[in-house]
Amino acid sequence: MIDEKEFIQQLLNPKTQNTAFQKLLSDYQKPLYSHIRNIVLNHDDADDVLQNTFVKVFQYLKNFKGESKLFSWMYRIATNEALTFLNQKAKLNGITSEDLQNKTIDNLKADVYFDGDDIQIKLQKAIVTLPEKQQLVFKMKYFEELKYEEIAEILGTSVGALKASYHHAVKKIEIYVTTN
Amino acid sequence: MKEFKLENEPKIVSGFKTPEHYFDNFSAKVFDKINEEEKEVKVIPFYRRKKTFTWLAAAMVVSALIIPIVNNYNATSNELDETTLENYLSYQSNLNQYDLIQTLDTKDIQELNNNVALENETLEDILSSNPNIERLITE
Repeated sequence: MIDEKEFIQQLLNPKTQNTAFQKLLSDYQKPLYSHIRNIVLNHDDADDVLQNTFVKVFQYLKNFKGESKLFSWMYRIATNEALTFLNQKAKLNGITSEDLQNKTIDNLKADVYFDGDDIQIKLQKAIVTLPEKQQLVFKMKYFEELKYEEIAEILGTSVGALKASYHHAVKKIEIYVTTN
Repeated sequence: MKEFKLENEPKIVSGFKTPEHYFDNFSAKVFDKINEEEKEVKVIPFYRRKKTFTWLAAAMVVSALIIPIVNNYNATSNELDETTLENYLSYQSNLNQYDLIQTLDTKDIQELNNNVALENETLEDILSSNPNIERLITE
């Protein structure tokens, strides 16, 4: 892998921009898709948000200061886009974000792009009961298997706080699944 | 009921799938969208410039309309200072000579003296032709 600074230069140089952005897309489209899909839950929405995320990445690249890694910067944009999308969709339907997610989970069984059974549905239902931050931490750690250090960089929190968040999330989920 | 422990369970995968070949043409979709947005971005400055011209034209029309109003206002206010005010004071107000005298200071009186630098003959003429001379003297 080439040096990140050099890669950013290639992304900004009009001559090399297209090739470099193509590489950025093929490197990150799958992990960012999973990240977004885990937040918005349905494929069509994830597709929309992922496209918007890459368009924003392309537009804001010239403002990228290199203070954080390209990886965490892109994850941050994806997270914001996904959360904004969820809130807007909920507002449009006149319901809370939690109700919207519950509705989407109920529809998951009929979703052709979802291959899961009762335990998956139950786990998703348990996750929805958590505060937003804990949801994010749990999904990134458990489903996406990101390292605490990486999550810390993306969400801008300390590793210690993240570990505590994840621990709380797991406890609540276990109680939910046991009692429901 | 058996207590559910996440770490005792086999790993639960999210179960989310994508349509087949979804990622094959995803980058093309993104490039299309970027080009589309760039076209839109190019339109904005033109639109803005058009708007600037509209504002400029509107501003010119407004200032053109204001010029005669301002001129008129100045003209009328000058007239008010002179004759209108005098007429008003002498015919329509309750002010009498005493009130006017009260407001005069020494400077005003001096100015009045200068203005009314009458020659003796004229003065005599006025006095002799004025039937109320006695009253004037006593005042």
